[in-house]
Amino acid sequence: MSPGLRFALLTALGLALFPFAFHAIDGYAGLATQILIMSIASIGFNLLLGYTGLLSYGHAMFYGGGGYVAALLLIRVMPQHPNLWLAVLGATLAATVLALLVGALAVRLYGIYFALLTLAFAQMIFFVVEQSQDWTNGDDGLQNFPAAMLPIGPYSIDLGTPLPALPLGPFGNLSDIKLWYIFAALVFFGVMIGVRALTRSQFGEVLTAIRENEERSTLIGFNAPAYRLAAFAISGALTGLAGALRALYDGSVPIDSVGIERSGSFVIFTIVGGVQTLFGPVVGTGLIMYLEAVLSGKLDYWRLIEGVIFVAVIIFLPAGIVGTINNRVKERRALLAASVRAK
Amino acid sequence: MTAILETKLLGKSFGHFAANADIDFSVEQGELRAVIGPNGAGKTTFFNLLSGTTEATSGTVFFKGTDITPLDGTKRVHLGIAKAFQTANIYPEQTVLQNCRLAALAHTQGAFALELLRRSGRLSGVDALAERALEQVELAGLAGVRSGDLAHGDKKRLDIAIALATAPEILLLDEPVAGMSRDEARKTEALVRKLASSMTVLIIEHDMDLIMGISDSITVLESGRVLANGTPAEIRANQRVQDAYLGGHSEAEIDA
Repeated sequence: MSPGLRFALLTALGLALFPFAFHAIDGYAGLATQILIMSIASIGFNLLLGYTGLLSYGHAMFYGGGGYVAALLLIRVMPQHPNLWLAVLGATLAATVLALLVGALAVRLYGIYFALLTLAFAQMIFFVVEQSQDWTNGDDGLQNFPAAMLPIGPYSIDLGTPLPALPLGPFGNLSDIKLWYIFAALVFFGVMIGVRALTRSQFGEVLTAIRENEERSTLIGFNAPAYRLAAFAISGALTGLAGALRALYDGSVPIDSVGIERSGSFVIFTIVGGVQTLFGPVVGTGLIMYLEAVLSGKLDYWRLIEGVIFVAVIIFLPAGIVGTINNRVKERRALLAASVRAK
Repeated sequence: MTAILETKLLGKSFGHFAANADIDFSVEQGELRAVIGPNGAGKTTFFNLLSGTTEATSGTVFFKGTDITPLDGTKRVHLGIAKAFQTANIYPEQTVLQNCRLAALAHTQGAFALELLRRSGRLSGVDALAERALEQVELAGLAGVRSGDLAHGDKKRLDIAIALATAPEILLLDEPVAGMSRDEARKTEALVRKLASSMTVLIIEHDMDLIMGISDSITVLESGRVLANGTPAEIRANQRVQDAYLGGHSEAEIDA
């Protein structure tokens, strides 16, 4: 079996089992859907931090921006025939355009300057959203917009429909799962396959080279700012896609979705899980969102715990959870290979 | 013969300090030209102005008669101007072959290619170009080695191979034998001779034996200005050059 096929099958298997395993540890199916959607944003964020070496502190502008555009398309443009494809596509395109505009200025900056510029843009977007009361409801956010239907051929599918009832003991009931989960899982699967191909493509190869040695890369003939801009646009597009899906799934867009805390959450999700790994951002997103859901109801100081987890990972697992596991596996394999050779 | 690379009144100032000033310079196609001068004479700045990594504050650079002064380093590489650095500038985490493949990839695919899904492995021309560059510097045997693990001399030769993999017409070598053992230096000297038979080579070097032995002609810089141009014999006999080196500078610098 080719590594690509094995990767696809294992990812599909994981997605099929995830909501049931999740139920066994008190996670509910809706949270599983939200985790998959947020993971798409984190994967997009990691494309920039891990594979391009740029730390954005303003990705909420794409995430929240995507959410607001999707909601506004439903409310203002197609209230009679709320089409999910069009809402998601429009939001993703809008996020891509925004990323190209911001990126055109940002990709010539490095390190703290890049982070601060993206932060400043995100704060401007936040301000615009908050002040545009007539369109965005200001601090209250948008709710109760028409539920988007998913047109496939002659059918118009309501993703809120649950699967048929089938008791599964400790793993809950099949009817816990709505069509939304399957839709989110399919999009997630497509993103995962696409990003894996991207990191192995010629484009990914050049991005890695630029991250490792930009001076040499420009003096062998690569246009480093253009590559960074393209990576920024793809990252913004994926994050906008996630923002749109989350808005449509939740049926609401809170003002927080364009806020600074949301930008910070992508940093935490990705670093806790492991930068430069495909599944790191997914694991980080899942772990933090799960702990938040389980603990924030019971404990008042969830944010403090989240902070402690973040600090602990940075100090003890600087490669993140998945990064550390990958490194250990590689070490084991190297040791094994060395001992085989010794014999 | 036509000049492949030419400068007119080229200058670079950092504030009030003129690192290069009024440099008129011309190198013919196929020539092996050395640029020498005492420490701080502005040799590396001059190379940076030619390769496009530093912007000139005055004057003009011509490549085959065309004004290329506004073009950055990336664009100049695609015209055929490549540079090897004073301190080996490589991708230490990549294999020796991959270092050259990247340069060959830039040459065949251009400064930007949105190849988001396809791998570069399908491009057979890239491997051929990279492998030939490695053979030229005699590193083909180490193609699979992580380049950060190479010996000092091999790293510097890899840097030259990276430049060669961009298929240059003119190659800028900034102190190619600096820090090398005698054996490594001899190997590199032979390499420079071989390269000069197929392309134009500009070389900065402090090793006077090497310079006098291999150069077609020499340009001497002092305090950012051209002090003299001439054949090795002319430069050796030039009183002003001797003064520049000996006056205020140790003799060791000439011999170094």
